[in-house]
Amino acid sequence: MILVVGGAGAGKREYVRSLGWDDSSIADGVMDDRPVIINLQDVVFSYHPERSEAADALLEPLACKAVVVCDEIGGGIIPLERHDREARDACGRLCCRLAQRAEKVVRVVCGLPIIIKGEYP
Amino acid sequence: MRILLTGGAGSGKSAFAESLAMTQARPLSYIAAMKPYGEEGERRITRHRRLRAGKGFATIERYADMDSLILPTGGTALLECLCNLTANEMFDDDGAEHDASHNNDAVFEKIVRGQDALAAQCSCLIQVTNEVGRDAASYGDGTLRYIQLLGRINRALAAKADAVYELVCGIPIQLKGTVV
Repeated sequence: MILVVGGAGAGKREYVRSLGWDDSSIADGVMDDRPVIINLQDVVFSYHPERSEAADALLEPLACKAVVVCDEIGGGIIPLERHDREARDACGRLCCRLAQRAEKVVRVVCGLPIIIKGEYP
Repeated sequence: MRILLTGGAGSGKSAFAESLAMTQARPLSYIAAMKPYGEEGERRITRHRRLRAGKGFATIERYADMDSLILPTGGTALLECLCNLTANEMFDDDGAEHDASHNNDAVFEKIVRGQDALAAQCSCLIQVTNEVGRDAASYGDGTLRYIQLLGRINRALAAKADAVYELVCGIPIQLKGTVV
């Protein structure tokens, strides 16, 4: 599995396409049987406030994907709403665990894929 | 040695900071700057305590005034985190700013002086901070001043640090220097 992270609009989807995946293979913010998921943060945030920790249950299904893409959302001021705070933390921690499982972790900055774990290309 | 660690929420800063501290001189002190507000705050603190358990840290709860904190000489101190410390030094419990002039120069100088005082007592000081400037939401003036102040503190401490890392998905990205 390749984990791709970066800010909103950083060029993550374009990078995934450059790996050869077309849009029919890419699930957007939903868990299904497609090999690529983007906007993983939307899945984590969709959980009920009481179930933010349920994000842990996503680890195994996500580890079986070819590519997992998540926005880097941990920056900025601590959110006012408790659910947003907990979901933000849960999303970050899930990405830490996915990074441990990933063969490669790519951080996209200004459209440039920076390999932070694994080998080029 | 001074090491500054930055990164977003849930980026793995604490785990990396603890593992780094454990490679450095004993005794290990953990300086907790987060005030335990409410049930959620307690839960956060409990989680951090659980992750730290058995690693040999003596916990010091200290929410402000680092310039007068006495540490064991020659050991390693892990301060978590500068975002809490800055908020505690800048605002009172009702959210009012201490500095009526709003330039926060005195708060800035006090925090930097406090970190210098900690570093002078340690063989290794590890400071954890956060990337509070990285969102596009609109905030009130006090919060905007907080973002500017913490950014200014981060810059000053990074300039003094022997090594600076940003944590991304638990992976340390070296921004300055190296840890020996």
